[in-house]
Amino acid sequence: MSKVLPGIIVTIILGILLFLAWEGWIAGLTPSTFCATAFPALALIGLNLIFGVVGMLAFGQAAFMALPAYFAGIMDRMGVPLLLALPLALVLVVLLARFMAEILVRLPGVYLAVGTLGFGMVVEGLARAFPAWTGGASGLVFEHGRDLGTAAWCLIALIALSLGIASYAWYVRGAVWRRLRAIRHDELAASVLGIDVHREKAKIFTIGSAYSAVGGLLLFYYVGVLIPEDAGVVRSLEQIGTLLLGGAGFLAGPIIGAFLIDWFFVISGYAARYELLIYGATFLGVVMYAPQGVSGLLIRPWQRLLGKQSATAEATEQAPRAPIASMSDGDDVSSCLVLRDVSQAFGGVHALSNVSFEVKSGEVFSLVGPNGAGKTTLFNIVSGILRPTSGRVLLRGVDITGLPVNRRAALIGRSFQTPRLVPELSVLANVMLRADQIFPRLSEAERRTIALDQLKIFALEGLSYQTVGEVGLGQRKLIDIARAAVGHPPLVLLDEPAVGLADGELSHLSQMIGKLSAQGCAVVIVEHNIEFVSNVASRGLVLDSGKPIAQGALRDIMAQATVKAVYFGALS
Amino acid sequence: MNPLTQSLISGTMSGAVYALLAIGIVLAFHTSRVVNLAHGESFAIGGLVAAVLADAGMPVYVYAPAAICASILFLLTVERFLLRPRRTWPVGSLILVTLAAAFLTRGVLQLTMGVDPLSFPRMFVGAPFRIAGGVLPPQGLVLIVVGLAAAVAVTLFLLFTPLGHKLRAVAENPDTAELLGVNVDRARSLAFGIAGGLGGLSAVLLVPLVSVDYQAGLGMTLRGFIAAALGGMAPSMAILAGLALGLSEALVTNYAGALAQDPIVFLALIGVAVWQSRKIVFGGTGRA
Repeated sequence: MSKVLPGIIVTIILGILLFLAWEGWIAGLTPSTFCATAFPALALIGLNLIFGVVGMLAFGQAAFMALPAYFAGIMDRMGVPLLLALPLALVLVVLLARFMAEILVRLPGVYLAVGTLGFGMVVEGLARAFPAWTGGASGLVFEHGRDLGTAAWCLIALIALSLGIASYAWYVRGAVWRRLRAIRHDELAASVLGIDVHREKAKIFTIGSAYSAVGGLLLFYYVGVLIPEDAGVVRSLEQIGTLLLGGAGFLAGPIIGAFLIDWFFVISGYAARYELLIYGATFLGVVMYAPQGVSGLLIRPWQRLLGKQSATAEATEQAPRAPIASMSDGDDVSSCLVLRDVSQAFGGVHALSNVSFEVKSGEVFSLVGPNGAGKTTLFNIVSGILRPTSGRVLLRGVDITGLPVNRRAALIGRSFQTPRLVPELSVLANVMLRADQIFPRLSEAERRTIALDQLKIFALEGLSYQTVGEVGLGQRKLIDIARAAVGHPPLVLLDEPAVGLADGELSHLSQMIGKLSAQGCAVVIVEHNIEFVSNVASRGLVLDSGKPIAQGALRDIMAQATVKAVYFGALS
Repeated sequence: MNPLTQSLISGTMSGAVYALLAIGIVLAFHTSRVVNLAHGESFAIGGLVAAVLADAGMPVYVYAPAAICASILFLLTVERFLLRPRRTWPVGSLILVTLAAAFLTRGVLQLTMGVDPLSFPRMFVGAPFRIAGGVLPPQGLVLIVVGLAAAVAVTLFLLFTPLGHKLRAVAENPDTAELLGVNVDRARSLAFGIAGGLGGLSAVLLVPLVSVDYQAGLGMTLRGFIAAALGGMAPSMAILAGLALGLSEALVTNYAGALAQDPIVFLALIGVAVWQSRKIVFGGTGRA
């Protein structure tokens, strides 16, 4: 999709709507309802970004709409000129949002929800508690808005909303879209891919709140009065309901939701008594039966119609060949991964004690041991998800013990026991996710080429344009492994790659692992299928209850009596 | 009259209510993984039903049980018809479902019960107790005693009865519990039923001292959640956390004024949320 096309289309549609409103051709649609709807829709773009796209449960966005109007109104009363007060108020709110984001984005799901709900209550409570500044319950009155005529306001509404949608569409596409969906789906997998999840979420929360702030500021100057309830929880929840109705995560979601709700209330003659009930019923109905909202209902038949076409169109799109950056070329470090006396304790439980081993580049190394032996813990330490209680992890001679997960992505590729792909994205997009992070300087087309080449190397290119949700479990595992190897990381970690694979897929997997080691990658495998492991791996380490009990050539150690006792004893 | 003693007394009364609400939230959370944002509506429903029935001239032994039954029925409905058919959904979506249910309930209550705050006569009347310059009405004493007793009873039930063990098994690992022959659906119903009963009970005890209106639910949910989170989502700790929350709220009101209550309490909430979640990384996606 072109960068500017969605913006142009939305502007045209909004222009037509405004024309209809101006002429009064649609019942209930007047220039004033157009303005009173366009500004909330603009604010909803922010919520759409935060909640719709990234899935953060932000239940306090109304506070970010009311705050700039409060700030500007208070500054206005203090004698600050309007043209200074408005931008200053916006800057203040964006800074506040940035600060709140720093705290809030670290909170998982429900804590974020309750934290943002609490923030809304704080703002509403403060607005009530300082009536001298905020006008208290009777509200803060804005005089300046009336100086502008209806025509001017309509023009402002049209321009502001069009710019809002256009900037959103320009920002949320390609790599940004993929990254945000990856975060929404699985934060851990996203950070293993190299995404700085907290930073991205803080950024989105700030940008989204900026949309809310601009929309709110314009709305309250247009309406002329702001009461504490406008900042409060109920208003925030109404916004969530409105966005869900329009379609959370869709470009047009905010506009459709805002216009439908407002138009409905105008048509029904402002049935204020029923407002809560209607919002509630709509909210519940949409959440339960149409999670994609009106946009989802509108778009589904089109997708069915266009699904095949767009896939082929994408396939024939010309892409320049990208230089494949290889990190293993010309680097003569034979020892790739070194663990020295790594221990991990959870409370009083020793999950790992004094594990040391070394894996050379091009070598396939296997971690063997019964369930609970500490293999996954070891993987989590090497990939950076856990920090060991003591000991060192070295990669190509560099100490990476304290390096955050997302900064290891270029060095380490990892697959998961259950593949952690984003189901609604295509196979290609999932593989591109890693390329996006490792090659941020390359263009979209070049990263696409890298991902396509990778799928070709592993003979998976036939699946490129299917969504992951349509692909079988075995193939998903192979895709996850192919993705882990994008960009030739010096080290690839495979967590039980053979589990759930059919025979044909198993030999496919053996070939893939062979190719990885031929490319110079060090491959570390956790696997229970001894026959498979003996075929692909040369050396290994046997763990029992967190303690290393044997290390060396795989055939030798598997023959040792102690290993047999631990391993097969545990299995039987 | 000593304002400090008085605020300690009223803090203990609201603290007992928060403890009951927190236990309900913890029970539902552990058995279903969902923080039920519609939990406080059981308080609003219980209070409003009791007030309306009392106003219609019903005696206390009719309206109090009826109100508690209404609250139980409400949360059972939420569990059976909203959450159970969607048990495979991600937790975030289920939280949205409970939020939507809270919203709808609020709308229904507004239409059926009106917008004015309602109350009903105290069940326990008589001369108030005077303690160190503070006044404790008999209803308040009953609220504190019955509230804390119910909270302790539920905790003991969870810790020491076979049925309580089953509930905790479901909380720890529903799949394993199912394999061991525990009926997970029934356990969840039981948890939501108890939660509703506690919500209704707290309304019946507290509302005569204050009042209740259609929008009381969400505030109660949030306060119950603060207490639950403060107690680390453990039922036994939730009692202490609820009391601590009630007392600190009353002290804030005493020293900084009633209008400062919401901002300060919810700032504390954000603090608690940050503190409690400091160990949870990556949205709690669990084992990698």
